[in-house]
Amino acid sequence: MLALRWRVAGTVALCATLVGCGADEPFERPSASTAPPVEIAATDRGPLIVALGDSLTAGLGLDADQAYPALLHRRLRDEGYDFTVVNAGVSGDTSAAALRRAEWALDGDVCIVIVALGGNDGLRGLPADQMKQNLSEIVSMARARGIAVLLAGMEAPPNYGSTYTTQFRQVFVDLAQEFDVAFMPFLLVGVAADPALNQPDGIHPNLDGALIVAARVREALEPLLPALAVEAP
Amino acid sequence: MTFVFRMVGRELRASWRRLGFFFVCVAVGVGAIVALRSVIQSVGVAMTSETRALTAADILIESGQPWSKEALALIETALVAEPDVTRTASIQTATMARPADLTKTVAKVVELRGVEAAFPFYGHFVLQDDVAYRHDLLAGGGALVRPELLVQLDLQVGDDIVIGEGTFEIRGVILREPGGQLGAFSFGPRVLVDHEDLLATGLLGFGTRAERQLLLRVPDARIDPLVRALRDPLRDEFVSIRSYRRTEDRIAANLRRAENYLSLIGFIVLILGGIGVWSVTRVFVQQRIRSVAILKCLGATGGQVLAIYVTQVAVLAVGGSVLGVAMAGGVMAAIPTAVADQAAAAAGLADLSYGLTVSAVTQGLVVGIVVSLLFALGPLLEMRAIKPLALLRWGLLPAGARDWTQIGVAILLAGGLLMVASWQASSWEAGLWVCGGFAAVAGVLHAVGQGLIRVIQPLGVGSRFAFRHAVLNLVRPGNQTRVILLAVGLGSFFIIGIHAVQANLVNAFALEIGDNPPDMFLIDIQQDQADGVGALLSAQTGRAPNLLPVLRARVTGVVGENTTLETVREIRRRGMGREYTVTYRGALEDNERVVDGAFWDDTPSDQAEVSVEESVRSRLGLELGDTIRFDVLGREVAATVSSVRTVDWDDTRSGGFMFLFRPGVLEQAPHSFIAFVRGPEGADARARLQRDLVAGFPNVSVIDGLEVIATIRRILDSVTLAITIVGGIALLSGVLILVGSVAMTKYQRQYDTAIFKTLGATSRTIMVMLVVEYGTLGVVAGLVGSVGALGLTWGLTRFLLEINWDPAPWINVSGLVLTALVVGTVGVVSSLDVLRKKPLSTLQAE
Repeated sequence: MLALRWRVAGTVALCATLVGCGADEPFERPSASTAPPVEIAATDRGPLIVALGDSLTAGLGLDADQAYPALLHRRLRDEGYDFTVVNAGVSGDTSAAALRRAEWALDGDVCIVIVALGGNDGLRGLPADQMKQNLSEIVSMARARGIAVLLAGMEAPPNYGSTYTTQFRQVFVDLAQEFDVAFMPFLLVGVAADPALNQPDGIHPNLDGALIVAARVREALEPLLPALAVEAP
Repeated sequence: MTFVFRMVGRELRASWRRLGFFFVCVAVGVGAIVALRSVIQSVGVAMTSETRALTAADILIESGQPWSKEALALIETALVAEPDVTRTASIQTATMARPADLTKTVAKVVELRGVEAAFPFYGHFVLQDDVAYRHDLLAGGGALVRPELLVQLDLQVGDDIVIGEGTFEIRGVILREPGGQLGAFSFGPRVLVDHEDLLATGLLGFGTRAERQLLLRVPDARIDPLVRALRDPLRDEFVSIRSYRRTEDRIAANLRRAENYLSLIGFIVLILGGIGVWSVTRVFVQQRIRSVAILKCLGATGGQVLAIYVTQVAVLAVGGSVLGVAMAGGVMAAIPTAVADQAAAAAGLADLSYGLTVSAVTQGLVVGIVVSLLFALGPLLEMRAIKPLALLRWGLLPAGARDWTQIGVAILLAGGLLMVASWQASSWEAGLWVCGGFAAVAGVLHAVGQGLIRVIQPLGVGSRFAFRHAVLNLVRPGNQTRVILLAVGLGSFFIIGIHAVQANLVNAFALEIGDNPPDMFLIDIQQDQADGVGALLSAQTGRAPNLLPVLRARVTGVVGENTTLETVREIRRRGMGREYTVTYRGALEDNERVVDGAFWDDTPSDQAEVSVEESVRSRLGLELGDTIRFDVLGREVAATVSSVRTVDWDDTRSGGFMFLFRPGVLEQAPHSFIAFVRGPEGADARARLQRDLVAGFPNVSVIDGLEVIATIRRILDSVTLAITIVGGIALLSGVLILVGSVAMTKYQRQYDTAIFKTLGATSRTIMVMLVVEYGTLGVVAGLVGSVGALGLTWGLTRFLLEINWDPAPWINVSGLVLTALVVGTVGVVSSLDVLRKKPLSTLQAE
């Protein structure tokens, strides 16, 4: 639930929406590690690429195999890579929430983590320095485990004013430099704010949008892959 | 013709005492209708103005994106045809506000709204220190803000804040605002500025998330046509169009329910009045059989006789209706004093006026006369069949031969009722429910009457005199068993039904708010923050908060007795493919009930156990003991289904969960908490709490629902009050009508009573006889009525009001008991004067 602005009626309905009892989200999230896409048997899971993110990663409003991690997985398989891309996106997660579950998400044979967070921090106007702190802890944790990091940046909506949006953007740039990790400045580059590539909520990509995101992420992964390909038997 | 009028005059003079009853019956019926409709209309007007204040306009056109040229052109086209429409624009967006004083560095998310001078079309602002709202306060860089913002940014009225590229002077504090739209919760306090100034902040660039609104003021009759005219061409634009009436808000739905209920009551009271008139007319007709027979002997035609009595009924109906209107006036005048305190406490609907409305009076008069005539026509038509022979045959109405005219009248009556019902309740469904219920209960009562006569006939030879004669009274030819059963049974059916529906409705409203509703809502509390947030909340609200753990989980498989689902695709085919928010706890909440299996005791277990909602069981075809596989943040959790719950989704104050886990397993998975909290009193204390929360736990967002809840409460309280008043009037008048129609039957009694007394029966014997007779009728009628009422309540709550049906057996049981008591008492009491009188005077009068 990236969109944290509920157009719901009355407190009660609000609660209902939030605790997820209504059928308000036609939500299909691609399977994470337990149920990988059909064509892969459990035995040839290969090393893991974990996409740690929010509803943009989880694929809110899309079918199970249409979120960008699933599309990326298929792409990499087509190219002959042996990775399994795990969707660790949780709708509504802020950087603070993702930090708390990073350990859980990075368990196992993880070789790359895609950190695609900040969307909810931005929508809720949370302090940028706080987000920076959270993200740097996540990156440090991955580093400490020997996991390569792709940091995907995010933009705050312009209505928060240029002071905030600039600060917000700078957080990702600074982190990428500080930790010297693979970096794509904006996860939704070429997709955001284009009605043709987004769902009616204007926030979440549709399938066409997700395909572009997957392609961009694939490009951004490039520097991390050769080294790993050598390691892979 | 002169003969007819002369006879009418004579009859009215001769039997005014008996006719007085008829007169009063009509008066009570009409009085109830007029009083109720007046209350209903005033409530309606007040509710309309409250609902309008929620949107501040008649029609609201909204767009989440900048207006496209096409959309604007289409809107213009539609509006050109409407010269009387006034409009104003508004923009709303979440943004950052910071003090202009650079030593204060905090910024705060606010909900910024830009309005023009015409805003609001409806409703009023309430500003602090009784400052009157005027647009000048905003023009030229002014801002009105919520008190929370002042506390959180440490500012005062007169200080400047910076928003985007603009600097605004705080010129006042908003306590209540119209057009705030209950549905829209936001993460920040409201800041209101001028529309032009908002445009100049530079915040509305590409990719901005802002809501553009066009508010329209439209003459009442043009609202719906204009909405249609706009909706059709704008279908393909991302634009929403709604009238204040059609707001999807829950509160509006509740108001609609109340309206439906109120108009339905108006109609039911009408029927009650009609039943009273009908049974009184019947008795009246029976009384006149001998006179009619004599008239016929003297050469009067059937048509003349009918004309005489129809004219009598018409005269009485007009007189009764006028008296009814006068009575209604009295009742209405009494209401404000009776409920003034409550109304004040509820800060009632501001412009609720308790006066008679012209349309209610007209309607009451017309309906009173027409219904009296319609209901009286049936019994009166029987007069045509009275033969002079009746003089010799003890004045019994001839039985047998089917009278097509009467059947025609019955059909006319049924059709008329259906029309009036649908019109009054503004829904065919409601009309059908009420009329169907009416017909069904009438049929059952008729059958029960027949049955009763047959069943107790053998008892007519018992040894106790009083008992024997009571039975004989019930079964002898010309008995009134069916008439009283029908009148009382239908009466109790509607009265009990109304009361039970009212209880359900008020209950639904109370649930909506509750006694101490949580009014602050916290999200995104992380595990390591739970204790800290809990401590802070306890300290500042004086109550330990209830933190609900929430996790996201998806069903990935089912291994069960009847169902085995292996793949996500199979799960999705069952409509269970979405991500669910789940929780764990050791006990049930108030809105949950276990319907199958046993709920775990309050101890953690490392074997995963899950309790599923009833709908999940049916969708997945589960049995107790089956295993559901969940994907919880990428890990598999296989949980045994140990119980099935139902959740009352209308009462989700503590949340509602499809899947509830036993404590012990999910604690290990990372998850966050949400909390529903009752915040401290007072805007400053609330603002301080929010400030401290955000300072200590920056990722935690607080949504303050106080104002929303206060508005909902204000409206619902007033509506509940109105419903209670209306229900009270309906109950009272219904009982009065019943009393009237039962009491009326004493005229059939008095001759028998006089004979019994002449033959030496004591008053005591006769009273026992009356108690047994009327008591039996009361019990039977009450039984049928209250069982029928159960059905009526079920149908109305479910289909018309769309609320939960909560059977309240005590209403039905006490309804049954009261019906029996009232009928018995009235039967005896109304005959007391006959008992006291010397038998000879009665016999002579006959």
